[in-house]
Amino acid sequence: MVKIIAKNISKYFKKRNGYVIALDDVSLTVESGARFGILGPSGAGKTTFMRIIAGLEVPTKGELYFDDKLVASNNKIIVPPEDRKIGMVFQTWALYPNLTAFDNIAFPLTNMKLSKEEIRKRVEEIAKILDIGHVLDHYPRELSGGQQQRVALARALVKNPSLLLLDEPFSNLDARMRDSARALVKDVQEKLGVTLIIVSHDPADIFSIADNVGVLVKGKLVQVGRPEDVYNNPVTIEVANLIGEINELEGKVTKEGVIVGNLKFPLDKSYKSERVIVGIRPEDVKFTKDLINDENWILVGKGVVKVIGYQGGMFRITVTPLEGSEDEEIVTYMDHPLKRKEEVLIYVKKGSVKIFET
Amino acid sequence: MKKSAIILVIPTMAFTIILLYLVIWNAVVSFMNWSLLNPKPYFVGLQTYLSVMKQFQFVNSLVHSLELSATLVVVGNVLGILFASLLYFLSSNKVRSVFLSIIIYPLAISMAVDALIWLWLYNIDIGIDWVLVKIGLPKFPWLSSTSTMFPSLILVTIWAYSGLATLFYLAGFMNIDKTIIEAAKLDGAGSFKILRKILLPNSLNSFIISTALLFLFSFRIFSLPYILSGGPTNIFLQTLVVYMYYLFTVEFFSQATAVATIVTLIASIVILPYALVIIRRWIRR
Amino acid sequence: MRPVIRATLHYLALVVISAIWLIPVYAMLINGFKSNLAVLSTPVLVPPTSFSLSAYHIVFNALERPLLNSLIVVIPTALISTFLGAMGAYFFYTLTYSFSKFLSSLSDFLFSLITLATFIPYQATLIPLTRLVVSMGLLDNYLGIMFAMLIFYIPTGALLMSMFISVVPRSIIEAAKLDGAGDLKIFMKLILPLSLPGFISTLIFIIIEAWNNFFIPLVLVTTPGMRLIPVAVESYTGGYGTIYNETFAAAVIASIIPLAIFIFLGRYFIRGLIALGGGGKGV
Ligand SMILES: Nc1ncnc2c1ncn2[C@@H]1O[C@H](COP(=O)(O)OP(=O)(O)OP(=O)(O)O)[C@@H](O)[C@H]1O
Ligand SMILES: [Mg+2]
Repeated sequence: MVKIIAKNISKYFKKRNGYVIALDDVSLTVESGARFGILGPSGAGKTTFMRIIAGLEVPTKGELYFDDKLVASNNKIIVPPEDRKIGMVFQTWALYPNLTAFDNIAFPLTNMKLSKEEIRKRVEEIAKILDIGHVLDHYPRELSGGQQQRVALARALVKNPSLLLLDEPFSNLDARMRDSARALVKDVQEKLGVTLIIVSHDPADIFSIADNVGVLVKGKLVQVGRPEDVYNNPVTIEVANLIGEINELEGKVTKEGVIVGNLKFPLDKSYKSERVIVGIRPEDVKFTKDLINDENWILVGKGVVKVIGYQGGMFRITVTPLEGSEDEEIVTYMDHPLKRKEEVLIYVKKGSVKIFET
Repeated sequence: MKKSAIILVIPTMAFTIILLYLVIWNAVVSFMNWSLLNPKPYFVGLQTYLSVMKQFQFVNSLVHSLELSATLVVVGNVLGILFASLLYFLSSNKVRSVFLSIIIYPLAISMAVDALIWLWLYNIDIGIDWVLVKIGLPKFPWLSSTSTMFPSLILVTIWAYSGLATLFYLAGFMNIDKTIIEAAKLDGAGSFKILRKILLPNSLNSFIISTALLFLFSFRIFSLPYILSGGPTNIFLQTLVVYMYYLFTVEFFSQATAVATIVTLIASIVILPYALVIIRRWIRR
Repeated sequence: MRPVIRATLHYLALVVISAIWLIPVYAMLINGFKSNLAVLSTPVLVPPTSFSLSAYHIVFNALERPLLNSLIVVIPTALISTFLGAMGAYFFYTLTYSFSKFLSSLSDFLFSLITLATFIPYQATLIPLTRLVVSMGLLDNYLGIMFAMLIFYIPTGALLMSMFISVVPRSIIEAAKLDGAGDLKIFMKLILPLSLPGFISTLIFIIIEAWNNFFIPLVLVTTPGMRLIPVAVESYTGGYGTIYNETFAAAVIASIIPLAIFIFLGRYFIRGLIALGGGGKGV
């Protein structure tokens, strides 16, 4: 398996007037056999980064190594895509519409001077692992979304690649099938030990598959770490938002804490700027009518219930501060509903409040 | 991109380069003096062009070519819009494609065959004139009068090529979002208003394509004047390409190449922008 | 009442236009069946009272050879033009998304050239073309006519196929590249099958264009036996007193193949025309 090292990679696209900076000085190492996730909003440069690794795009600046082999540098492709031993699942899957599932999966092997027997054996092997053995004679248009996705995965894996690239592989699947698809990808990766890079803007993909995640924002790699660590200690509110839902409140720093309307959040250290953003994950908030006697939960003030929604078996409650900042909203999920316009006490979990300087 | 891909383009390139060679050869020879009387060519600069441009026949055929192209562009566009709107507002796709086929079938027939047919239709005794006389109208002289000869030829090209413009306007109309049209209908807009306010304003592309193609096709019409006049010598039907062929048959080679170069230049003025704007835009979507 | 009147007028307009547009084909169809006697007594637009095949008989005998010549020249020319043009078009396709500025300017240049070759009044190349063909010893030779046609129709094929290939998703080709397929294999196994309707459209468009080409066979053929059909029918131009049933029979024989193609495969021909204008959907 292969270790991927990106050194100061930048990518500019020419536009009618000037340039688009799709990637800005990205440096990153993905260890051999690791599962690495790249998270970022739309247009952040995720696909571009993936395509540079695959060799479908050339980096404007910087170097890319596979192990210690230089494969691309400064506007030059040194090792072409076909020699990089890469399996890739495209965002649209890119199955060959004129070939059956079998021929799709066999396609990479037919470029490798293998005997017909050998090809058949390997296709059937991988088809069995991915549970598509019974649809091998179907054309892509005759397959369900999940089957198409698995054929694409099989085609990427059948050639025993050293690196598997997945570009939002689940975005064309309906929500129900995503979880099993994620589990399947992880299982297969573990079985084969291939280095894996998955690109997504859905944190669920990252949490269920990746050991490490890099967050791309506007072409810059702003944070790298284990998904839980990024979740708990995001470097900016934007990163915090990308990796999970978070409440964002605009506050003012005072000696007693951060003030948002009538709410007062505890301070853990001093901040230079006066205006800050307070971030709290929904699971770190509680709305109650009675006081809570638990030192892990801190009362920050009173609020009033504004919106009640229902989602995933839970009630999604939106509360605004009682006074001062009615535009600010705090959301949490509860197992029972509250009444609209009802006054509630707002508690936050100790140590969970994230303060971001603007 | 691998170098092996270049093999794929070699045939196309080879033949395109031959074409380029032919065009350049023309241009080079047009600066030489070369004819039946001067079998050994030598450089004479622009002299051939100057002498060609002074000739009555050259000016005459240039005027004919431009007259033909301009008329066809104007009438073709007008009829194209008319026919396309009539077709567009049909509700049945089947009926539409039948009528469309009728309007564009002349594009599948050789101009040489068109010439044969129209020669007879223009016959003043037993052709269309027979019908005119039958219904009490005066005869029209068509090809038998020098003043109506060329307009008659233009009429054939209009019949032959209006379908091209119709096709592009119709394709343009059909590309417009149906929901916009339906919304306009709900607002009580009539067909004529929809045409004026929605369809036509969105037809710039169709206009450019129709104009370019009508110009380019009409500019190279050869067999029609050639056959209608029984050879390249009838000055009343001579277009630039026919005149050039005439110069060739009488072995005025330099003059023929000068006319050929002028023809190529005029066509290129339309072709090159067309290639770089319309066609490239489509391919690089 | 009003909508009914409107619809009637709408159809009436179309029917009148169609009737006018069909006059030549009507004349063509009825007059070939007239006997020599009927020709002398009936005008062109009046149908024959009795059917006679004599004109067809005479004309077909004379045109059999040109018809065959046309088939021998046109079919291979169209196939070769479309296939080689498609190969070129695939190359342009890979160029237009290439990394280098140089290559993309090169592609603009090549593109202008193939467009020029497609639309140039080919008569303009008359002298150098005949000289070239003569110097190759191919005057009065199938290969000479084919060679000359290929100069114009391979670029036409490349231009039209560029339009059709441009709708093949780029990711499919990238996937094939990652799978280690070479360009020739990608072309044969993916591009050609995926743009098959476009291939047929281009083929048909070129068959019709080449079939109807008058000028190239006119200048590259000097012996009667090698004439192609559009040139061969020239001898049926009538004047006063000539018998027109033969003219129309000749017209039918010369157009039967393109017209049959138009009737049965018109969709493809129309798509070819539309591609000539840089795409366009619908219709
Ligand atoms: N071929 C190209 N030419 C010009 N600009 C491009 C090209 N490819 C990408 N870009 C630009 O580069 C930026 C990054 O694009 P990229 O496709 O990498 O984003 P992404 O993170 O994958 O987004 P998404 O989540 O929407 O897929 C965007 O601003 C995009 O417009
Ligand atoms: Mg993307």
